[in-house]
Amino acid sequence: MIQDYLILSIILFCIGILGVVSRRNVLIIFMSIELMLNAANLAFIAFSRLHLSMDGHVLAMMVMAVAAAEAALALAVVILLHKHKGKLDSNVFSLLKG
Amino acid sequence: MEHSVSYLGLIPLFPLIGAVVLGVMHIDTCTRRKLPEKLYGVLACIGPVISFIYALVVFFQLKSMPADSRFLIHDAFTWFSVGDLHITMGFLADPLSSLMLLFVTFIGSLIHIYSVGYMAGDENFGKFFSYMNLFLGSMLILVLGSGPVVMFVGWEGVGLCSYLLISFYSKDTDNVLAGNKAFIVNRIGDLGFVLGMAFLFWAIGSGGFDYLSLRENAHQLAPGIGLTICLLLFVGACGKSAQIPLFVWLPDAMAGPTPVSALIHAATMVTAGVYMVARFSFIYAEVPLAGSIVAWTGILTALLAAIFAMFQRDIKKILAYSTVSQLGYMFAGVGVAAYSAGIFHVFTHAFFKALLFLGAGAVIYALHHEQDIWKMGGLKEKMPKTYWTMLIGALALAGCPPFAGFFSKDEILFSALATGHTGIWIIGVTVAGMTAYYSFRMIFLVFHGTPRNKESFNHAEDAPGVMTIPLIILAVGALFAGFLNLPALFGGNLNVSHWLAPSLADHHPHVGISVELLAVAASVIAFAIGITVSYRKFGQGADEPEYSGFTEFCYNKFYIDELYHAVLVRPYKAVGSVIWKFFEPNVTDIHVKIATWLYQKAGTAFKVFQVGYVRVYAIYMVIGLSIMSLLLSQSLN
Amino acid sequence: MFEYVLSVMIFLPILAGLVMLFPLVSKGGARIAGFIVTIVILILGIELFLGFSGTGGMEYVEQCNWIESLGISYSLGIDGISLLVLFTCTVLFPIIFVVFSTRTKGYYANLLIAQGAMIGAICATDIVLFYIFWEIMLLPIFFMIGLYGGEKRLPATIKITIYTIAGSLLMLAALIYVGVSHHSQFGEWSFNIVDLSRLDLSGGFAVLAFIMFMLAFAIKIPLFPFHTWLPDAYTEAPTSTTFVLSAIMAKIGVYAVIRFVIPVFEIEFTRFALLLSFSGVIGMMYCGLAAIAQKDIKRMLAFSSASHMGIIALGIFCMNVQALTGSLFQIVAHATSTGILFLFVGLIEERMKTRKIEDLGGIAYRAPIFATFFAIAMLASVGLPGTSGFIGEFLIILGAVKFNIVIGVLAGTTLVIGVCYMLWMFQRVFFETANERTEKFQDLSLLETLTFLPVILLIIFMGIYPQPFINKIEPAAQQQVAKFYSMDQTQIADTIVPTPGLKNQKN
Repeated sequence: MIQDYLILSIILFCIGILGVVSRRNVLIIFMSIELMLNAANLAFIAFSRLHLSMDGHVLAMMVMAVAAAEAALALAVVILLHKHKGKLDSNVFSLLKG
Repeated sequence: MEHSVSYLGLIPLFPLIGAVVLGVMHIDTCTRRKLPEKLYGVLACIGPVISFIYALVVFFQLKSMPADSRFLIHDAFTWFSVGDLHITMGFLADPLSSLMLLFVTFIGSLIHIYSVGYMAGDENFGKFFSYMNLFLGSMLILVLGSGPVVMFVGWEGVGLCSYLLISFYSKDTDNVLAGNKAFIVNRIGDLGFVLGMAFLFWAIGSGGFDYLSLRENAHQLAPGIGLTICLLLFVGACGKSAQIPLFVWLPDAMAGPTPVSALIHAATMVTAGVYMVARFSFIYAEVPLAGSIVAWTGILTALLAAIFAMFQRDIKKILAYSTVSQLGYMFAGVGVAAYSAGIFHVFTHAFFKALLFLGAGAVIYALHHEQDIWKMGGLKEKMPKTYWTMLIGALALAGCPPFAGFFSKDEILFSALATGHTGIWIIGVTVAGMTAYYSFRMIFLVFHGTPRNKESFNHAEDAPGVMTIPLIILAVGALFAGFLNLPALFGGNLNVSHWLAPSLADHHPHVGISVELLAVAASVIAFAIGITVSYRKFGQGADEPEYSGFTEFCYNKFYIDELYHAVLVRPYKAVGSVIWKFFEPNVTDIHVKIATWLYQKAGTAFKVFQVGYVRVYAIYMVIGLSIMSLLLSQSLN
Repeated sequence: MFEYVLSVMIFLPILAGLVMLFPLVSKGGARIAGFIVTIVILILGIELFLGFSGTGGMEYVEQCNWIESLGISYSLGIDGISLLVLFTCTVLFPIIFVVFSTRTKGYYANLLIAQGAMIGAICATDIVLFYIFWEIMLLPIFFMIGLYGGEKRLPATIKITIYTIAGSLLMLAALIYVGVSHHSQFGEWSFNIVDLSRLDLSGGFAVLAFIMFMLAFAIKIPLFPFHTWLPDAYTEAPTSTTFVLSAIMAKIGVYAVIRFVIPVFEIEFTRFALLLSFSGVIGMMYCGLAAIAQKDIKRMLAFSSASHMGIIALGIFCMNVQALTGSLFQIVAHATSTGILFLFVGLIEERMKTRKIEDLGGIAYRAPIFATFFAIAMLASVGLPGTSGFIGEFLIILGAVKFNIVIGVLAGTTLVIGVCYMLWMFQRVFFETANERTEKFQDLSLLETLTFLPVILLIIFMGIYPQPFINKIEPAAQQQVAKFYSMDQTQIADTIVPTPGLKNQKN
């Protein structure tokens, strides 16, 4: 029973990772990150159900709050990036190159 | 304790207080207003004179004690005490130090008085007397110190004052260089002294590190370590008393004002080395080999310096080399275990050499700082007082009986002969002849014949009373000081030697009267030959000789200064610059260089991974996390 | 109230420094506040010095648990070894605030923080606490050189920082090793030096840990050949920072060796003592020789300082009570002589706008007070009897001769080497003829004279009557040395024991 939920969570997480790694559009990357967060949330809820404890719920709520805050910030960053370069291609932003 | 008195420490204290007071007064006023010179002069002379009075008190108190336990001690306070090492700031007056004390304070006071006249009008009048007082205080600490470490305080103190006074006219670079040279060469000697003290302490010092305790424990000394200690201490003595190979600083030291040359570089400080060897006579007596080395070094120095003195033309340089030469005699004396003879020569030498320097100072003063004897001549009529006093000094120096130098020098030569050091005796007699030659060369050229420089001759006159009275007093001393230690041959009974006997480990060989007569006869003949040759060459006035070949070689002091410069000074500086320019950046810094190089290389190597795309970093993260979770799950199972 | 005196002395300057950084405080206010704080510290320090009984044990102890699970405690204390270092640290700071007025307030704040951290490092008896203060100490130094230094300050800052951080990290690793060893030997955690000194360490790891500790301290002292940061840092730093570096921080390196390395690693220390003492002596000669080739008076003094530190370090490697006491004494003597010389050079630079020896000359005629003070400090630095420098140097040479004759003789050459470059410099700066630049040299003002006078008097007092100081340090030194002789002889049997010089059975 719990495995199914976890497998779904892993699949979602992997999709998220793939999205972050392979897509170049910043918005899509951002969406993929959200997907990973939700995968983690799903796992929390599943374990919470398994152990019959509310801790998982608490953390899930917490993650959602964080995700909301993050979305607000990240979107602002995305807008700024667009303003700066006129593109949302993540390959343009390679300032970290050594 | 009956030997304990509480005023010995005051003797050096008075001049030291004088130095501080004068120094503060000078510093306070020198840039703004000037205080009257009389005030400085009076203040400067108070300290030495009080010390001299105390020295007399000490002498008479000692005299009233039984001969075998004549000593006074004043332990002021514990200086420092670590483990077994207990150093007391203590002062010891025994016959040896009381003799030194008497003549140091006496001549010191006289020269202070003389200087009031000589230095008149100098802008640094106050500074001069501050240094002179400081010197006298240090010298008294040196003489009175109850142990080697306290002696070392005075030892270095006089070295410092010597440096300060040599470079007194510090606007001239040469003077400062001469001062530096004196200080550095002295420091080389001090290195020997310090190491000698360290060895001495670890050998026998745990029972107390003052002369009285050391003397009791001296018999425990192993011969090998005893020799090492003696030689190390002798290195110290060589530095201070200008013996081979450290004699080079003394002639240059004549750059200082003439009273300084008289007090420090003739009468007192330079004899400190002899005093030190005599102080440690209880160790030197245990190691005859060390004594022989001391004696040979001394007599060779005497010979070398006498050769140099015969060809110099600067009146002060002549006297300087003559001092080196006489110091050599003293070391020959203490080296052959005739400590009292050596110390007695220190005593008489102080009178006649101070006299000669002060006389030379009066000549230089009269001729407006002319020091070349080939530019003088005929001053006898113009400066009769100076002439007669200097003549007495020269006779004493040359060893003419019955002047002071004759008895003391003869005692040394006799001791050398009597102890079987025939080689030393032969050289010593030769040097006596040379001494007579060069001292009268100086007298003839300066005072006899016709004036070589009319203009300065016409202005020359005897110095004022404040300068000539000390000359006359010293001349009396140079005349009669020798009688204090008349040997039995001349009907005396060696008063000074007997006085000194409790402090020294004298060795008196018993020889027949014929040997004694032989020694006296040889000295007198040497003197006669020397003075005759000198009179033949210079007595009727002589022309300035051309320096060439051997004479030029001698005039330039065998080029020893140049040799030292090339072999020691230049390489020292070169090593400094090589270290700074080459070693420091290229060799010593190598570990830093290697570390930074590795960092850079590693940086370039790892740069490949830094592509700059965030998603690539995300992949790294995922890979890292996966590996970590794998490892974690493995270890959990 | 006096029982918390050490904490007060640590945190008062640190807090004052932090408060000073607020924008409300003005520059002049910062200077006055800093001066008052350092004077308070000075009074506390003197009070503490006078109240110190000198029995050999820890006094003014403060102890409370900090990180209980790891046995780390906030423990402070003073004994004969740290007393004089602390004394130096309290005495010398007020001078900076009086003499140098042109600094910004950030500089003053950093100075105060540095003082607090240094006092902390001196008083800490828990090795972790010591480590923390040790690291804090570097921060203000970093800012002071990096922000307020000379032209080439950045390379100098980076060099000193990386050098010392590298050393500190090694020390951290070694420190953890020591803590873990304590846990495995006694079953409980402790980093207190009293507990750690009971450790019985041997084997390869102990040697490694010893080397790591020694590296950290050797860099700070600095011991040859880890001194290469010193000339750059000392030259580029503002003069008062150089003063702090040379007079106090270098001494904390020496002190830390005595306090933390020797008790824990007796065997390794004995084994390496000969090598280390050679390092000290060679460093002394090497830096002394390099000093003569310098054209910049400050750099010359930097080398001179490194040269003297070699001798001071030598004193602790000789393992006898004379040398150790001499080292501890010399710490103060060196701080008051060479340290003060740095301040004097700072004054010359402030007035003449140059530090080149060849540009100066004839200052003695214009400024007799300054020249006299300078000469006294210089003579103390070359170890003239009657000044503080002689006592320490003499004791160290004496001890070195006993330890090993070759080392002793080489150590003696410091007498000659020191004089060579000092006289050479003094001649060119103070004697000879004045040029148009030095014609205008202002002598010390009354305030400056009164500020320096106590230190000059201290130099002379410590030379003439050093026994009050020695009384307080000797028992602790005696205890420290006694450990070497109580060591099990079989423990040292397989180690390379230094060839004894003129060794008696006991010291």
